Amino acid sequence: MGIILSLAAVILLFSAGTLITILIEPMLSTTDEEGPASNSPKNNIYPVHPDSWLYNAAPAVALASMAAASVVIPIDKSLAGADIGIGLFYFIVIIDYMVLAVALGGWGSNVPESIESCYRIIAQLVAYVVPLGLAVIGPIMMAKSMSTQNIISSQSSLWYIVSQPLGFALYIITGLMQVYRAPFLEPFSNILNNGIISTYGGWRGKLWRISLSGILFIVAAMGAVLFLGGWSGPLLPGFVWMAIKTFAVLILMKWIGQRMKLLSTARMLELSWKILIPAGLLNVLIVGGLILMGVGGK
Amino acid sequence: MILPINAYLIVSAVLFGIGVYAILAQRTAVMVLMGIELILNAVGLNIVVFWRYIQPENYSGQIFTIIIITIGAIEMSVGLAIMMLLYRNRKTVQVDKYQDLKG
Amino acid sequence: MNLGEAAQIFAFGVFAFISIAGALGMTTTMSMFRSGIFLMASFIGVAGLFILLMADLLGMLQIMMYIGGMLVMILFMVLFSNDPGGDMMASMKMPFLERFFSSGLLPQKKIHRDSHSHHNSRNNNNQADKDEGMNMGMDMSMFTSLKPYAAWIGLTVTIVFVLLFLLFPDWPVKNFIPDQDSSHRIGMLLMGKYMMAFEGAGLMILLGIYGAIYLARPGKHPDSKDRNDPSSINEEPPQAAEDPIEPFYNINLKELYEKSEDEK
Repeated sequence: MGIILSLAAVILLFSAGTLITILIEPMLSTTDEEGPASNSPKNNIYPVHPDSWLYNAAPAVALASMAAASVVIPIDKSLAGADIGIGLFYFIVIIDYMVLAVALGGWGSNVPESIESCYRIIAQLVAYVVPLGLAVIGPIMMAKSMSTQNIISSQSSLWYIVSQPLGFALYIITGLMQVYRAPFLEPFSNILNNGIISTYGGWRGKLWRISLSGILFIVAAMGAVLFLGGWSGPLLPGFVWMAIKTFAVLILMKWIGQRMKLLSTARMLELSWKILIPAGLLNVLIVGGLILMGVGGK
Repeated sequence: MILPINAYLIVSAVLFGIGVYAILAQRTAVMVLMGIELILNAVGLNIVVFWRYIQPENYSGQIFTIIIITIGAIEMSVGLAIMMLLYRNRKTVQVDKYQDLKG
Repeated sequence: MNLGEAAQIFAFGVFAFISIAGALGMTTTMSMFRSGIFLMASFIGVAGLFILLMADLLGMLQIMMYIGGMLVMILFMVLFSNDPGGDMMASMKMPFLERFFSSGLLPQKKIHRDSHSHHNSRNNNNQADKDEGMNMGMDMSMFTSLKPYAAWIGLTVTIVFVLLFLLFPDWPVKNFIPDQDSSHRIGMLLMGKYMMAFEGAGLMILLGIYGAIYLARPGKHPDSKDRNDPSSINEEPPQAAEDPIEPFYNINLKELYEKSEDEK
């Protein structure tokens, strides 16, 4: 009985979070940029020569990856989908499936802009995966565990955003790369005629919208868990604090992103390999030094 | 331990056989490399099965599998670089046409 | 049997089916992109089997390395070479497995392929494919002429191994649940007993990176004046033949690329 109740609570809270994200987005943006999947065609288009297995599988894989990634995010002290011992590693791996889904959709529709968009999205995967790993290693080192509940309970003395600001900045930037928001919006932008979304009309476009907005919410939630201390807080119940922190990280990500110019794929790769990876390695060095000096952790 | 050890071993044997078929019957160099990856995968599965059923307290079996996966990645990247050079020089990717050493 | 054991048997069946079906699909489908995707499905099946065998960190590592790393490499290589797509399907009679795994593909003229493989047109003009009967200009088939022999060899190897595993079943099996905190144990072993192997693998990765970059470099001395010449010619794609079906878009590729150059 308790399992069913907590499962229902988790599903409800995540659906609510995704829906609120979709509704709030126009209010939070200061430019006209609305997110990658907002301009899907209204009527139910089917391309003429698709690769039908891949074309039909893509929205399903996107939705599955988003749902599977939200399992490890804890909402309250005992309210998580599953507290796996390797929870954070699992999260990073499952978010990679979103890239796979977009690649399948791009190739499957057999339209030149989609295929071009598919190549650029795979290049974006190459750009974000190493800095994300280096940013996330900091909390793992300080908490001595990969489980999300352990990371939250070891932030009871000091939040990790205070002791690892460089890691937090890296997480925000690679988080923007993961969710295809500005300034890393190019595969879905007007240059490529909206990329793969233009070949998915009607209800399939709405499925893409749910997946891409949901993944923004989930990445922001994981940022709140890792760096801001998750559900811990003085007065209010756990999930209220979690919601406040998630939306704070979400607003910060969008606000920082929209201040910057759109980067092309080549510039983004250059940014990742020349600036973010040395910064990540420096972050690991600094966190190691802090642990040896006794800051943070039990 | 409800499943007998032979169940997993048979899966690994079938994967190995399909990998051998892929290496011998595919025409493009990329597909041959994919067949090699299938064989490495089958071997890795075999090692983990034996670790779990015969010596579960000694984690060296998993270390061996990690090293195998790493070395598989390296040889695939060097293999793909060689394939790209061959494509530039010979203008074809079919392994039938690389016949310089034929007696 | 109780629910836990039934769930284990069901999960084993599902993951074993995914691995073997993915491997079969990889070898028999007609499009190279689909082969890559099926190979990835096979890896996910094997990773599921790892998790069932209580090696959870290894399962996650397998998924991350094979999907995040190796498959990206394979996909980029597929994009460089010629993907036959579904062109040959209408003219060949194929055995049942191949027809099933290639069932979503349609024979067509794909516009994008000619714009992304510039080498191809030069290929046609220079080489005369004498030993291939129909000169279609692209690769005939995914399989070599050795295909029947390869199928028999593969089948023999499989049957030999399966019989070996079935007829000698007396392995010294221990009924012992391993330590649940596998990442801790693996970490301690990697940094303790197997430090040499760990560092050696790191050194080998470095050598592999260096070798791959050196092999794939542009082939001229940095100071020679024709180093920056493009190695492929930007040709106009040939006009598509009259399709009875109307195209999905009216695309002018040149205009698309010029427009994106202007916006940068």
